[in-house]
Parts: sequence; C-alpha cells; structure tokens
Amino acid sequence: MRTFTGIDLGSTTTKAVLMDENQRVIGRGITNSRSNYDTATRVASQEARIDAHMMLCHRALEQVGGLGGRLEEFLGDLEGAFRLEQFLEQLGDLEETCLGQLRHERFASVRDAAKVALAEVFARLREEAPALFGRGAKRKSDFFRDVAGGRYLAVSEAVARDAGLSYDLLLNVYDKSIIEVENRPPGGDIKGKFRRALSALIGDSNGRSGPFADQRDAVERAVGAALDIELDDVFLVGTGYGRVTLPFSKEHIRSEILCHGLGAHMMHPGTRTVLDIGGQDTKGIQVDANGIVENFQMNDRCAAGCGRYLGYIADEMKMGLHELGPMAIKSEKPVRINSTCTVFAGAELRDRLSLGEKREDILAGLHRAIILRAMSIISRSGGIANEFTFTGGVAKNEAAVRELRKLVKENYGEVTININPESIYTGALGAAEFARRAGESAAFEDARAGVNS
Amino acid sequence: MTITAGIDLGTGAVKAVVFDVNNGETTWLARETLRIRQRDPMELTEEAFNHVLEEAGLGRDDVAYVATTGEGEGVPFRTGHFYSMTTHARGAIYLEPESRAALDIGALHGRAIRIDERGKVLNYKMTSQCASGSGQFLENIARYLGIAQDEIGSLSKAADEPENVSSICAVLAETDVINMVSRGISAPNILKGIHLSMAGRLAKLLKAIGVSEGTVTVTGGLALDDGLVAALVEEIAKIRGINVTTRSHPDSIYAGAIGAALWGAFRYDKLAKLGQLRQAS
Repeated sequence: MRTFTGIDLGSTTTKAVLMDENQRVIGRGITNSRSNYDTATRVASQEARIDAHMMLCHRALEQVGGLGGRLEEFLGDLEGAFRLEQFLEQLGDLEETCLGQLRHERFASVRDAAKVALAEVFARLREEAPALFGRGAKRKSDFFRDVAGGRYLAVSEAVARDAGLSYDLLLNVYDKSIIEVENRPPGGDIKGKFRRALSALIGDSNGRSGPFADQRDAVERAVGAALDIELDDVFLVGTGYGRVTLPFSKEHIRSEILCHGLGAHMMHPGTRTVLDIGGQDTKGIQVDANGIVENFQMNDRCAAGCGRYLGYIADEMKMGLHELGPMAIKSEKPVRINSTCTVFAGAELRDRLSLGEKREDILAGLHRAIILRAMSIISRSGGIANEFTFTGGVAKNEAAVRELRKLVKENYGEVTININPESIYTGALGAAEFARRAGESAAFEDARAGVNS
Repeated sequence: MTITAGIDLGTGAVKAVVFDVNNGETTWLARETLRIRQRDPMELTEEAFNHVLEEAGLGRDDVAYVATTGEGEGVPFRTGHFYSMTTHARGAIYLEPESRAALDIGALHGRAIRIDERGKVLNYKMTSQCASGSGQFLENIARYLGIAQDEIGSLSKAADEPENVSSICAVLAETDVINMVSRGISAPNILKGIHLSMAGRLAKLLKAIGVSEGTVTVTGGLALDDGLVAALVEEIAKIRGINVTTRSHPDSIYAGAIGAALWGAFRYDKLAKLGQLRQAS
C-alpha cells in the first residue's frame, strides 16, 4: 500500500499522519518531542504505523464477521496488550540506564543501597504495569515519560523512605536517565509485538489460553493478513517548530502556518480563520477558499496563552491535562487570575487554594486567561471571519472551548465554529497532503519521463 | 529560656530551625531542609518540624512559639506568621552581622532588601512578574540537563564561553535547552549564562534600593549555588557607584526560618511581658 506521511514537529508533541493515495487518513501517531527531533520523528511515524495496523486489523476483522459483537472489545485489548509489551520494553531500558548511572563516582558511597532500592522500585513498576494498560484503565498520558516518570516519583518516595535513602538521590538518577531513554525509540519489530500481543488474547502453542481463545482461527487469519500488508512510504513532508532541524531536503519541509491552514481547510473546507493553540505557540491564521494562508500572527516567546500554560497548571494540581477541562466546566463563578506569567499563575493558584477558593473556580479563571490571550492574537491577525476553526491540543478542552465560544460571540457575533476531534493532527494532516501532492507530481514526472524515453 | 521554632515554607523547599533564646543569647539547636518537588508542602512541613524537634530532643509542648514565613501562613500548628521581607533581613543579620543588604533568591522571586544594623527593613524591591531568570527557571534547566542541584555551581564555574540567555520563559525553557544542546553549547556554558542573566537582574535591584557599600548577604534557596554567587560578584562589579562585599553563608538557606524563629522569640517575650499571649494566640 502506497502511503504519504506528514510530520508536525511541535515543541511539546510530534504528530504524524499517514495518508493513502485516495487522500484517506489511515493512521495517526503522537509522541512528546522533548529531546531529539530525529527521534521524535521516528517515534511519531512508528506510532502512526501502529495505528494504521490497528485500522487494517479492524477492517479485516469486520470482513470476517466482526467477532460476534466483541470487535471493539477485542481491538481495545489488542492495543492494550501491544502497549504493555512496548512499555515493559522501555521500562527495562530505563532500569538498565538508571543502574548505569550508579557507576558514577558521585554515587560511590550509596551505590549498593541504591541498587537494592532501584530493584525494588522497578519490581513494583513492573508489577503494576498490566493494570495501567488493562480494560478501562485511566492514564494521565500515553507517553512513556509521563506514565513511567509519574509512577517512578510516587513509588521511589516510599521506597527511599523504607530504605533510609534520600529521595533526591533516586530522583537525580531518574533525571539523568530519562532523557537518554527517550532518545532511544522503542526497538522496531511492530509486527512481532502485535503477534505476541495477539497470542496473549487467543492463547499460544504452549497451551496458554486467552479471553478470545474461542475465536482463535478467525482472528489469527484476519489479523495475520492485516499485518502482512506492507506500508510503503512514498513521500514525507515535515513541518512545525523543529522542522529546520529535520534531516530532510528542502522540498520535504513546509512552514507550519501553511500546513495548519491547509489542514484546517481539509477538515472544514469553509474555514476562513484558524486559531491554533499548540504547546508553545498560539497562532491566528486567515486562509482563502483553497486553504492558502493570507495573514497570520503568533505569540511572543512566553508560555502564557499556550498549551503549556495548562500543562504546567495540571502538574501543579497533580492532575492529568485532560482532567482540567471537565473540572473547570463545573464552575459557576470563575476567579479572576491576575498573573500573566505561567509560573506565577501556578503560585497564585496555590495561594487561592490555601485561601479556600474552589478548585473549579480557579481553573475556570485560568482557562479564561488563556483564551483572552488567544483572542488578542486573533484580532492582531485580522479578526474572525466565518467559518472559524479551532485547532491544536487545547481544542479538546471543553472549558477552553466554552470560554472561546462566549468571547467570539461577544466580539464577532454569530460565526460557525468548527472543532474537529482530531484537531491536534491538523498541521500533520496539511503536511501529509503536501506529501501526497508532491508524490503525485513526482509520479507524473516519472510517467512523462517514461513516455519520452 | 525560650524555645522558638522557625519554618520557612518556600516554593522549592521547606526549611525548619529550632532556637533557644535566653536573655538575648541565641543558641541554634536544630535545622532541616526538605525539597518539595512533587510532594505535599503541608505534609513536608509537619515532617520537617517533627524532625527538628527530635534532633533537639524536644517535644511540641516545649516550644513557646512556632513562627512561619514564606507561604507558611496556613500551617495549622503555627503561633504566628511573619512576612518574608522581615525574616530574611533578620536572618541575614544573624548570619553576617555586617550585612547592610540581603539578597533573597528563591524559586520564584528575587528580592533585594536594604537593612540597618539591627535587621530593620529600610527599603526593598523584587524582580518582575515573569519567572524568566528565577530559581525555578534554573532548576528546570538543570533537570533537563540531568544535573543535580549541588553540581550546578561547580559546573557553572567551569564555563569558558557563557551563553547569553537574557530572557527565556521559565516554562518554555525546556525547548530552549534542547536547542542550545543541539547547537553544541556545553552544560557549564548554559548554566553560567543563566547565572549571569539572573545576577544582572539582581544587581540592578540592589542599585534601585540604594545600596552602595557594606556587605550584601545572599539568602534563600539559591544562596548555596556558588556559581550564582560568583556571577553576582561579577555583575555587581559592573555597576557603577556600588562598592560592596558579596557573601553567602553556609546556612544562608535558613535565613528566612532563622529570622522567623528570632522574631517569634521577640514577639513571645513582648507578649509574655504584657501577659497577653493567651489572648493573642
């Protein structure tokens, strides 16, 4: 199958979209781009391929009768088992890396005790891992750093106390290791991991059984056939904050403004104004009827008004990023937040909490603050025209959306507001479309060259 | 004999001390610092307080006055709370009697405080409402570089070509560090660049509050960072009209807690004399 890839290297997350020749999206992948752009690109494409394989499995199983109504359940379990395989692989890497750090002379006096403590920490992490990926499990994030890191901090506090070791020491070992681990993408062999995940569900030759053992023949054949489809990557286009560092030639790179404009146009062809709130950029973009950018504005180098603002607040409150919106939306009396700086807003949040103000009211105030900043960026880009499309990670946040709808109506009247559930992939989608067009014209050039020769 | 405790609840760490104050004679009995990162500040405050009491061989009933400062106003077992400006001033005088200014550098705020010989605050000024160049900023960068707090100073002092980092958002710092590292800038040069940028701002604060001579004592969580203190000396020397000695004491991190404990003892005596303690607490 011929595929085209778009990569959006954001400052916080890297997104990949895999498109087929008919402009259909067949896979989406996301990872955090904390360390190395090259790695982030590889991981996001790998994730998009995993997603594409899931989609192909879905299609193949539907054709053989859909498991008698248990299809969704099966797919959920398959993905969970796959994720667990991958998580344990990375956890092993993290443990080894942490142990390696202990060889440094600064740890000489505590090395043996620290080794024992680390073994205990990782034993506990491995033990609780299956529950993290089981049915109905709620994770604060899907990224290894967040999942493993969050639990490492929690578990090592208890282990350090029991062992009479300093908590800071275990944290430092982790801090020194995690970047290295993140710079190593999970070992490839996606198909192998899928096959092992599959045997966990349908049983294997050693006589182990699984929840879908009764469907073994049908499932094995369909999933096997889906996994055998080769995804042949024809053309790749990168965009986003880190695009200049991508190891691609110039024709494989497009500006993120162009990609966001085109992506928003593909999702909602009537789009004239785009607001994209990403990790560290907020952009207001005006596009024409073909999705071509006419004007745009961006925030300055400050996290206020960006997605990271909410990420920081979530960390402060020890909540998951996607728990913020649902809590803020419960507020009936938003608090006015005075601090602009994200870090100071975090301190203001703590102050107000200690004064006994309600969490939902403070959070609602913080959401309002971020949207107010976004409104001023849009107005500098030329205001809001019908239709208005809100993209980027924050578009998933219902409290932010509520504030935005209110302010748009107050300032610009009745305007159609589009919010796509896959909005975080807008830039990558635009990039994938650029890749498809480039592949098309390359194929055309090849064909013409063939005729001429 | 009056036993008083001082607790400085900061953004980065909880500091607790216990003092015995007897007719103006002060004896320091115990100290403890617990870093907060990802933990509950109130639980840590309790833990730090219990620990200093244990170390001093005292029970809670032995303590006449528990004074909090920083963000410690909500600590349930406190007797009274003191504003951090006054506690750092008093703490600086305790640690370095010649101090005529305290430069309190914490996780969020940098504060310059001009003081008289008894620790009375004469004038003060704080850094602006943006966390770029704060201790939190430095801590974030160090974490992304995988560097422990106590390594920062010596690495910074090993810099040969400090990177200029005049203004970077503390929250977005992560991406900046990644970019710096990918541009081949070494950890010492990144750290020294940040130290110089922080020090430049703090030096301006000293000028703004009219400090021109005497000793400036660095207090707060970052006082132990000798790379920062070295950068301060460099940056203060660049400002005309200021001729001061910059010092940091090994116990500078406790300045707020010390000040709180000593002001607590002072207030306790005053109230005891007036027989009003019961009424006041």
